[in-house]
Amino acid sequence: MGKRKGIKVLVSVIGLDGHSTGAEIVSRMLMDAGMEVVYLGIYQTPEMIVQAAIQEDVDVIGISSHASNYGQIVDLLGLLKKNHLNDIHVICGGTIPNQQAQELKKKGVSEIFLPQSTSTSIVNYIESNVKRPDV
Amino acid sequence: MKRETDYGHPIKTFYHPKDIEGLDYNRDLGDPGSYPYTRGYYPDGYRKRVWTQRMTAGLGSSKQTNEVLRRYREMGQRGGMLVICDRTNAMPIDPDHPIGRREAGVLGWPGASLYEFEQLMDDIPLTGQSITLLGSCAMSSIRLAYIVALAEKRGIHLKDVHGSVTEYPFCTTFGQTDAQPLDLDLKLWLDSSEYIVRNKIRMRSGILSQHFQESGGNNAQALAVEMAMLKELCGLLVHERGLDFDDVALLPYELVSVGSRFFEDIAKIRALRRMWAKMARETFKAKKEKSCQLLISVHTSGRTMTYQQPLNNIARCAIQTLAGAIAGCTAIDNACLDNAHAEPSPLAARMSLNTQHIVADETGVTDVADPLAGSYFVEYLTNKVEEEAYKIWNKIEEIGGMIAAVEKGFVQKMLKESAQEKHREVESGERLVVGVNELVIPPEEDFQIPIQELKTGDSEEIARRMEEWKKTRNMPLINQKIAQLYVDAKKEDTYNLMPSIIEAVKAYATAGEIIGVIRKARGLSYDPLQAIDCPFDL
Repeated sequence: MGKRKGIKVLVSVIGLDGHSTGAEIVSRMLMDAGMEVVYLGIYQTPEMIVQAAIQEDVDVIGISSHASNYGQIVDLLGLLKKNHLNDIHVICGGTIPNQQAQELKKKGVSEIFLPQSTSTSIVNYIESNVKRPDV
Repeated sequence: MKRETDYGHPIKTFYHPKDIEGLDYNRDLGDPGSYPYTRGYYPDGYRKRVWTQRMTAGLGSSKQTNEVLRRYREMGQRGGMLVICDRTNAMPIDPDHPIGRREAGVLGWPGASLYEFEQLMDDIPLTGQSITLLGSCAMSSIRLAYIVALAEKRGIHLKDVHGSVTEYPFCTTFGQTDAQPLDLDLKLWLDSSEYIVRNKIRMRSGILSQHFQESGGNNAQALAVEMAMLKELCGLLVHERGLDFDDVALLPYELVSVGSRFFEDIAKIRALRRMWAKMARETFKAKKEKSCQLLISVHTSGRTMTYQQPLNNIARCAIQTLAGAIAGCTAIDNACLDNAHAEPSPLAARMSLNTQHIVADETGVTDVADPLAGSYFVEYLTNKVEEEAYKIWNKIEEIGGMIAAVEKGFVQKMLKESAQEKHREVESGERLVVGVNELVIPPEEDFQIPIQELKTGDSEEIARRMEEWKKTRNMPLINQKIAQLYVDAKKEDTYNLMPSIIEAVKAYATAGEIIGVIRKARGLSYDPLQAIDCPFDL
């Protein structure tokens, strides 16, 4: 993999969910914090997201969820494992009920950011948990 | 704390007559029931008819949604029903589509065929209450066909049905997304609208600022975008489809998002009535008074409902409902205490409906029309939001109207910037939100509300049921109706597809099939997600 300076994050909405405002706002805040962001937009399947993650060699995948389609987040985790991409952190944000949030974390989502999470909390989490590759 | 309107205009400590100097009562306000209708359409306000009190339903299968509708009726929802479609139906693709089967029944009702609509409406009257089906624009003509078909089956005169089942073509830009290009959405919307107007059906079409505002737009922008949409869409029906404006004016209804800026939200609705009345009379040369009265419903803002300390949302909902009632509206549907968590639980739905009844029956708000008229502050805000909205609307007109402004990305950019700004205001503490950036408690101390959610297998079950049902259909009949639709869809855009869509719906062709065939006729892929091929030999 090529050398790079900063953390690279893929931000996407998954499945048929059309609520893109959250993903757009988070993309902006990560860019403002100096991270490189690949924003995929809406109507992305787990397969499309994994393919983009490989192509773009990202450190983190951020999924914005406002449509209770959590099954596809679980599919995404499975696909990452299958492709030996266990080092990519998957974080989620959005209106995810508490019980679902706990389930998703058990299944391998690194962290869940609930509505109104601050930029600082999201940026700090990524910066302290992602090991940067050699520069 | 910021002392500004949500569109950035500074607010003074108090207001006096000089702030509304030049306000002419008859010219700018008028009595309730008089042009320019700033004060509402009825001299007796709510005394003859209180707003329709309703709740959104839609989650899981048609049977589950039908049960919710019946429960709402028991809770006192008799004036109108409101159902929102699921994500597959918004696109539309069928629940048995490989991607659809992962999300059927998510966020709404999977209304992919007349069969589903019949189940949804089982033992629920089609008349005597307003029938509102919400979703995306692409489904508009198909939902209208459901109404036509079910009325016929039940032996009901179409003219006795009222409500709204069609929706404007710009919603896809504002978060209520479908998978169709703007030109196709526009064509389908014009077809369904023309059909409604020509046949004098008492069905409204939603041309809504709610999606825009819930996506982060401010009050002045929401007014501007609403007026720009109304002007362009009504203009197309008059000029392209040759309809009379006085007939067209009975078509649109606006759903206003009422958030937590109490006085500003009231001012916005008062200004909207005045702006529409002026446009109807001056631009479209309306001949009838009724044409100058835009039907306005209120949706209390889901965006303002917090995830944290959800019980606080009951208070927010009550304040917003009161604002909507004071402003004057035809119907209110509330956001719920669990809005940031899931679809309304029975508890949340009951609280929400009860909130409307408390506001209507216990506060005295239904006694007097437009009770805040004459308040220096409210009249000032009404003038101000109108003035700011005209500035933005003029910019949209300079670009060439709403379609051009969307195609050029102007409206999307304005919305994105406004959403970013709203987020920044809360994050910096310039705007306070209790439980979020003020009076915060640890999550483990938070009250756990009941959550209504889909189980993982539910979507798959809806999909399997559809697969089985599809095999039982009369395929020769469907093939014949689909072939006719395909031929018609190849004709010029002004050729109205409603009759052939109605025929296909009656034969139980599905939403995915109908839109797929129309897409194919227009040179697009049958499946908007390009995962399946066209099953018809065309």
